[in-house]
Amino acid sequence: MSLQAAAQTTILLGRCVPCLKHNASKFKIKRLELDTNLLMYFGKEEYVYAHDPQKMCKTGDVVLIEQLPKKMTRLITHAVKKVVYPLGDITDPMTGKKVVSGKYRDHIEAVNKVYGKKEGAFKYEEAPPRGWQEDKKDFTHAETYIKYHESEKDDPYAV
Amino acid sequence: MPFMIGPAPIRRTLKFLEAGRLILKEQIKIMAVHYHLNGQNNKGAKEFVFWCLPQVQYKNPHVQIATFKNLTPSPFVRCFYDTGDEMLIDVDNKSKDEILEHLIQVIGKTKEVLEAEAISKEKKDNPANFGVACDRHCICEIPGQIPCPSIVPLPEHMRGKFIYKKDM
Repeated sequence: MSLQAAAQTTILLGRCVPCLKHNASKFKIKRLELDTNLLMYFGKEEYVYAHDPQKMCKTGDVVLIEQLPKKMTRLITHAVKKVVYPLGDITDPMTGKKVVSGKYRDHIEAVNKVYGKKEGAFKYEEAPPRGWQEDKKDFTHAETYIKYHESEKDDPYAV
Repeated sequence: MPFMIGPAPIRRTLKFLEAGRLILKEQIKIMAVHYHLNGQNNKGAKEFVFWCLPQVQYKNPHVQIATFKNLTPSPFVRCFYDTGDEMLIDVDNKSKDEILEHLIQVIGKTKEVLEAEAISKEKKDNPANFGVACDRHCICEIPGQIPCPSIVPLPEHMRGKFIYKKDM
Protein backbone atom coordinates (compact mmCIF):
# COMPACT_ATOMS: atom_id res chain seq x y z
CA MET A 1 0.00 0.00 0.00
CA SER A 2 2.12 2.85 -1.27
CA LEU A 3 1.19 6.34 -2.36
CA GLN A 4 0.18 4.83 -5.71
CA ALA A 5 -2.56 2.81 -4.02
CA ALA A 6 -4.28 5.90 -2.65
CA ALA A 7 -3.90 7.79 -5.90
CA GLN A 8 -5.55 4.96 -7.85
CA THR A 9 -8.57 4.32 -5.63
CA THR A 10 -11.78 5.72 -7.04
CA ILE A 11 -13.31 7.03 -3.81
CA LEU A 12 -11.68 7.82 -0.48
CA LEU A 13 -12.56 9.16 2.95
CA GLY A 14 -10.06 11.67 4.27
CA ARG A 15 -9.55 14.36 6.86
CA CYS A 16 -8.66 17.87 5.69
CA VAL A 17 -5.26 19.22 6.70
CA PRO A 18 -3.93 22.76 6.17
CA CYS A 19 -2.95 23.52 2.60
CA LEU A 20 -1.74 26.69 0.91
CA LYS A 21 -2.73 25.80 -2.68
CA HIS A 22 -5.41 28.01 -4.18
CA ASN A 23 -7.74 25.55 -5.88
CA ALA A 24 -6.94 22.44 -3.91
CA SER A 25 -7.15 21.03 -0.42
CA LYS A 26 -4.88 18.44 1.14
CA PHE A 27 -6.35 15.36 2.74
CA LYS A 28 -4.96 12.78 5.09
CA ILE A 29 -6.09 9.31 4.10
CA LYS A 30 -5.69 6.72 6.81
CA ARG A 31 -5.64 3.11 5.69
CA LEU A 32 -4.84 -0.11 7.45
CA GLU A 33 -1.76 -1.96 6.29
CA LEU A 34 -1.02 -5.56 7.21
CA ASP A 35 2.33 -6.19 8.86
CA THR A 36 3.22 -9.61 7.46
CA ASN A 37 5.41 -10.64 10.39
CA LEU A 38 3.00 -9.74 13.17
CA LEU A 39 -0.15 -10.28 11.06
CA MET A 40 -1.52 -7.11 12.53
CA TYR A 41 -3.09 -4.08 10.89
CA PHE A 42 -1.45 -0.72 11.50
CA GLY A 43 -2.69 2.67 10.37
CA LYS A 44 -0.77 4.27 7.54
CA GLU A 45 -1.28 7.87 6.48
CA GLU A 46 -1.13 9.08 2.94
CA TYR A 47 -1.64 12.62 1.71
CA VAL A 48 -3.76 13.38 -1.33
CA TYR A 49 -4.44 16.71 -3.00
CA ALA A 50 -8.02 17.18 -4.18
CA HIS A 51 -9.53 19.84 -6.42
CA ASP A 52 -11.64 22.23 -4.37
CA PRO A 53 -12.15 25.59 -6.14
CA GLN A 54 -14.72 26.98 -3.64
CA LYS A 55 -12.60 25.89 -0.66
CA MET A 56 -15.64 24.34 1.03
CA CYS A 57 -13.41 22.07 3.14
CA LYS A 58 -11.88 23.48 6.28
CA THR A 59 -9.13 21.88 8.33
CA GLY A 60 -10.42 18.92 10.32
CA ASP A 61 -13.45 18.11 8.16
CA VAL A 62 -14.04 14.53 7.13
CA VAL A 63 -14.54 14.59 3.38
CA LEU A 64 -15.38 12.13 0.62
CA ILE A 65 -13.08 12.56 -2.37
CA GLU A 66 -13.25 10.82 -5.72
CA GLN A 67 -10.62 10.22 -8.33
CA LEU A 68 -10.55 12.45 -11.38
CA PRO A 69 -10.62 10.61 -14.72
CA LYS A 70 -7.50 12.50 -15.71
CA LYS A 71 -4.95 14.07 -13.35
CA MET A 72 -5.31 17.84 -13.14
CA THR A 73 -1.71 18.51 -12.20
CA ARG A 74 1.12 16.26 -11.09
CA LEU A 75 -0.21 16.33 -7.51
CA ILE A 76 -3.96 17.01 -7.81
CA THR A 77 -5.38 13.57 -8.58
CA HIS A 78 -8.79 13.71 -6.88
CA ALA A 79 -11.75 16.07 -6.52
CA VAL A 80 -13.85 16.82 -3.46
CA LYS A 81 -17.22 15.15 -3.62
CA LYS A 82 -18.97 15.74 -0.31
CA VAL A 83 -18.15 17.05 3.16
CA VAL A 84 -19.35 14.21 5.35
CA TYR A 85 -18.64 15.64 8.83
CA PRO A 86 -17.67 19.33 9.10
CA LEU A 87 -15.59 19.92 12.19
CA GLY A 88 -17.61 21.14 15.15
CA ASP A 89 -20.97 20.78 13.42
CA ILE A 90 -21.47 17.03 13.15
CA THR A 91 -24.93 15.71 12.30
CA ASP A 92 -25.81 12.17 13.34
CA PRO A 93 -26.99 10.55 10.07
CA MET A 94 -29.17 8.03 11.93
CA THR A 95 -31.33 10.56 13.79
CA GLY A 96 -30.55 13.79 11.94
CA LYS A 97 -29.77 15.60 15.19
CA LYS A 98 -26.67 17.65 15.86
CA VAL A 99 -24.05 16.09 18.13
CA VAL A 100 -21.23 17.54 20.18
CA SER A 101 -18.43 15.26 21.41
CA GLY A 102 -20.60 12.16 21.40
CA LYS A 103 -23.74 13.68 22.94
CA TYR A 104 -26.84 15.11 21.36
CA ARG A 105 -27.00 18.91 21.50
CA ASP A 106 -30.59 19.01 22.69
CA HIS A 107 -29.69 16.54 25.44
CA ILE A 108 -26.85 18.82 26.62
CA GLU A 109 -29.15 21.83 26.53
CA ALA A 110 -31.80 20.03 28.55
CA VAL A 111 -29.20 19.12 31.21
CA ASN A 112 -27.86 22.70 31.24
CA LYS A 113 -31.38 24.04 31.68
CA VAL A 114 -31.83 21.98 34.84
CA TYR A 115 -28.45 23.00 36.26
CA GLY A 116 -28.76 26.61 35.16
CA LYS A 117 -27.36 28.19 32.02
CA LYS A 118 -24.30 30.43 32.08
CA GLU A 119 -24.49 33.78 30.21
CA GLY A 120 -21.17 33.40 28.44
CA ALA A 121 -21.98 29.89 27.24
CA PHE A 122 -21.54 29.15 23.53
CA LYS A 123 -24.86 29.30 21.63
CA TYR A 124 -24.77 26.91 18.69
CA GLU A 125 -27.79 28.34 16.89
CA GLU A 126 -26.58 31.95 16.97
CA ALA A 127 -22.91 31.26 16.22
CA PRO A 128 -21.66 32.44 12.78
CA PRO A 129 -20.28 29.80 10.38
CA ARG A 130 -16.70 28.68 10.77
CA GLY A 131 -14.09 30.99 9.37
CA TRP A 132 -14.83 34.42 10.78
CA GLN A 133 -11.88 34.27 13.15
CA GLU A 134 -9.36 33.21 10.53
CA ASP A 135 -6.10 35.15 10.76
CA LYS A 136 -7.28 36.66 14.05
CA LYS A 137 -7.60 33.73 16.42
CA ASP A 138 -8.04 30.72 14.11
CA PHE A 139 -4.76 29.72 12.50
CA THR A 140 -5.68 26.22 11.38
CA HIS A 141 -6.17 26.96 7.68
CA ALA A 142 -2.46 27.41 6.88
CA GLU A 143 0.56 25.33 7.68
CA THR A 144 2.85 26.44 10.46
CA TYR A 145 6.61 26.56 10.30
CA ILE A 146 9.36 26.74 12.89
CA LYS A 147 10.80 30.21 13.40
CA TYR A 148 14.58 30.22 13.61
CA HIS A 149 15.24 33.89 14.15
CA GLU A 150 13.36 36.91 15.45
CA SER A 151 12.30 39.46 12.89
CA GLU A 152 10.19 42.60 13.38
CA LYS A 153 7.17 40.94 11.68
CA ASP A 154 4.99 39.05 14.10
CA ASP A 155 3.90 36.07 12.02
CA PRO A 156 1.26 33.96 13.80
CA TYR A 157 2.07 30.99 11.53
CA ALA A 158 5.60 30.81 12.87
CA VAL A 159 5.69 28.41 15.76
CA MET B 1 1.36 -18.88 17.89
CA PRO B 2 4.63 -16.98 17.69
CA PHE B 3 4.78 -13.52 19.25
CA MET B 4 1.72 -13.95 21.44
CA ILE B 5 1.57 -10.26 22.24
CA GLY B 6 -1.45 -8.06 22.75
CA PRO B 7 -4.96 -8.90 23.92
CA ALA B 8 -6.47 -11.94 22.19
CA PRO B 9 -3.48 -12.76 19.94
CA ILE B 10 -5.56 -15.41 18.18
CA ARG B 11 -6.83 -12.51 16.05
CA ARG B 12 -3.35 -12.33 14.59
CA THR B 13 -3.24 -15.89 13.25
CA LEU B 14 -3.53 -16.62 9.55
CA LYS B 15 -6.20 -19.23 10.22
CA PHE B 16 -8.37 -16.68 12.00
CA LEU B 17 -7.92 -14.07 9.28
CA GLU B 18 -8.69 -16.56 6.52
CA ALA B 19 -11.84 -17.59 8.38
CA GLY B 20 -13.38 -14.15 7.84
CA ARG B 21 -16.96 -14.46 6.60
CA LEU B 22 -17.76 -10.92 5.51
CA ILE B 23 -16.67 -10.36 1.91
CA LEU B 24 -18.00 -6.99 0.80
CA LYS B 25 -19.69 -6.39 -2.54
CA GLU B 26 -17.42 -5.05 -5.22
CA GLN B 27 -19.02 -1.62 -5.43
CA ILE B 28 -18.26 -0.83 -1.78
CA LYS B 29 -15.05 1.16 -1.46
CA ILE B 30 -15.25 2.59 2.06
CA MET B 31 -16.61 1.12 5.27
CA ALA B 32 -16.76 3.49 8.23
CA VAL B 33 -17.70 2.12 11.64
CA HIS B 34 -18.83 4.75 14.16
CA TYR B 35 -19.10 3.84 17.82
CA HIS B 36 -18.76 5.36 21.26
CA LEU B 37 -16.37 3.96 23.84
CA ASN B 38 -18.79 4.29 26.76
CA GLY B 39 -22.37 3.15 26.82
CA GLN B 40 -23.95 -0.29 26.91
CA ASN B 41 -25.51 0.16 23.45
CA ASN B 42 -22.05 0.31 21.87
CA LYS B 43 -20.80 -2.94 23.39
CA GLY B 44 -21.63 -5.07 20.34
CA ALA B 45 -20.05 -2.55 17.98
CA LYS B 46 -16.87 -2.40 20.06
CA GLU B 47 -16.59 -6.19 20.08
CA PHE B 48 -17.23 -6.29 16.34
CA VAL B 49 -14.36 -3.86 15.75
CA PHE B 50 -12.08 -5.76 18.12
CA TRP B 51 -12.73 -9.23 16.70
CA CYS B 52 -14.01 -8.92 13.15
CA LEU B 53 -12.40 -5.80 11.66
CA PRO B 54 -9.02 -7.47 10.89
CA GLN B 55 -10.90 -10.32 9.21
CA VAL B 56 -12.93 -7.92 7.09
CA GLN B 57 -9.85 -5.94 6.03
CA TYR B 58 -7.96 -9.18 5.24
CA LYS B 59 -10.73 -10.44 2.99
CA ASN B 60 -11.24 -7.00 1.40
CA PRO B 61 -7.77 -5.49 0.98
CA HIS B 62 -8.92 -2.75 -1.39
CA VAL B 63 -11.64 -1.34 0.86
CA GLN B 64 -10.77 1.60 3.10
CA ILE B 65 -11.98 0.73 6.59
CA ALA B 66 -12.23 3.67 8.98
CA THR B 67 -13.33 3.85 12.59
CA PHE B 68 -14.80 6.96 14.16
CA LYS B 69 -14.82 6.86 17.93
CA ASN B 70 -16.94 9.05 20.21
CA LEU B 71 -18.55 10.93 17.35
CA THR B 72 -22.19 10.07 18.05
CA PRO B 73 -23.83 8.37 21.05
CA SER B 74 -25.37 5.59 18.97
CA PRO B 75 -23.24 3.25 16.85
CA PHE B 76 -23.71 2.73 13.12
CA VAL B 77 -21.86 1.53 10.05
CA ARG B 78 -21.68 3.70 6.95
CA CYS B 79 -20.64 2.19 3.61
CA PHE B 80 -19.82 4.27 0.55
CA TYR B 81 -20.29 2.86 -2.94
CA ASP B 82 -18.24 3.98 -5.90
CA THR B 83 -21.44 5.25 -7.56
CA GLY B 84 -21.76 7.83 -4.78
CA ASP B 85 -24.54 6.12 -2.83
CA GLU B 86 -24.15 5.25 0.79
CA MET B 87 -25.62 2.63 3.08
CA LEU B 88 -26.38 3.38 6.71
CA ILE B 89 -26.64 0.40 9.04
CA ASP B 90 -27.79 0.92 12.60
CA VAL B 91 -26.03 -1.40 15.06
CA ASP B 92 -27.42 0.11 18.25
CA ASN B 93 -27.83 -2.46 21.05
CA LYS B 94 -26.85 -5.37 18.80
CA SER B 95 -24.36 -8.06 19.71
CA LYS B 96 -21.21 -8.73 17.69
CA ASP B 97 -22.66 -11.84 16.03
CA GLU B 98 -25.92 -10.10 15.12
CA ILE B 99 -23.97 -7.24 13.55
CA LEU B 100 -21.83 -9.65 11.53
CA GLU B 101 -24.82 -11.64 10.27
CA HIS B 102 -26.70 -8.48 9.36
CA LEU B 103 -23.72 -7.07 7.48
CA ILE B 104 -23.20 -10.32 5.55
CA GLN B 105 -26.85 -10.26 4.49
CA VAL B 106 -26.91 -6.59 3.54
CA ILE B 107 -23.48 -5.71 2.13
CA GLY B 108 -21.77 -9.07 1.80
CA LYS B 109 -21.47 -11.21 -1.30
CA THR B 110 -23.95 -14.07 -1.39
CA LYS B 111 -22.91 -17.70 -1.17
CA GLU B 112 -23.78 -18.36 -4.83
CA VAL B 113 -21.62 -15.48 -6.04
CA LEU B 114 -18.72 -16.66 -3.90
CA GLU B 115 -19.04 -20.23 -5.17
CA ALA B 116 -19.12 -19.06 -8.78
CA GLU B 117 -16.04 -16.92 -8.18
CA ALA B 118 -14.23 -19.83 -6.54
CA ILE B 119 -14.95 -22.08 -9.53
CA SER B 120 -13.79 -19.49 -12.06
CA LYS B 121 -10.68 -18.78 -9.98
CA GLU B 122 -9.86 -22.47 -9.80
CA LYS B 123 -10.13 -22.86 -13.55
CA LYS B 124 -7.68 -20.07 -14.17
CA ASP B 125 -5.32 -21.05 -11.38
CA ASN B 126 -4.63 -24.65 -12.31
CA PRO B 127 -2.32 -24.65 -15.36
CA ALA B 128 -3.01 -28.35 -16.00
CA ASN B 129 -6.65 -27.59 -16.88
CA PHE B 130 -7.76 -27.49 -20.48
CA GLY B 131 -11.09 -26.55 -21.96
CA VAL B 132 -13.29 -23.51 -22.47
CA ALA B 133 -11.63 -20.74 -20.41
CA CYS B 134 -8.10 -22.08 -20.35
CA ASP B 135 -4.94 -21.72 -22.42
CA ARG B 136 -5.29 -25.10 -24.11
CA HIS B 137 -8.58 -25.81 -25.76
CA CYS B 138 -8.39 -29.54 -26.28
CA ILE B 139 -6.55 -32.54 -24.86
CA CYS B 140 -4.88 -33.03 -28.22
CA GLU B 141 -2.81 -29.86 -27.59
CA ILE B 142 -1.18 -31.34 -24.48
CA PRO B 143 2.24 -32.95 -25.11
CA GLY B 144 2.18 -36.71 -24.57
CA GLN B 145 -1.41 -37.12 -25.75
CA ILE B 146 -2.75 -38.39 -29.07
CA PRO B 147 -2.47 -35.77 -31.85
CA CYS B 148 -5.64 -34.12 -33.12
CA PRO B 149 -7.63 -36.65 -35.19
CA SER B 150 -8.57 -33.86 -37.62
CA ILE B 151 -4.92 -33.65 -38.66
CA VAL B 152 -3.59 -37.17 -38.08
CA PRO B 153 -6.23 -39.95 -38.45
CA LEU B 154 -6.54 -42.33 -35.48
CA PRO B 155 -5.27 -45.93 -35.92
CA GLU B 156 -7.93 -48.41 -37.00
CA HIS B 157 -8.22 -50.23 -33.66
CA MET B 158 -9.37 -46.97 -32.07
CA ARG B 159 -12.00 -46.09 -34.65
CA GLY B 160 -15.53 -47.35 -34.18
CA LYS B 161 -16.21 -47.89 -37.87
CA PHE B 162 -13.49 -50.52 -38.01
CA ILE B 163 -14.15 -52.14 -34.62
CA TYR B 164 -17.84 -52.75 -35.20
CA LYS B 165 -17.51 -53.58 -38.90
CA LYS B 166 -19.23 -56.80 -39.83
CA ASP B 167 -17.61 -58.98 -42.46
CA MET B 168 -19.89 -58.95 -45.41
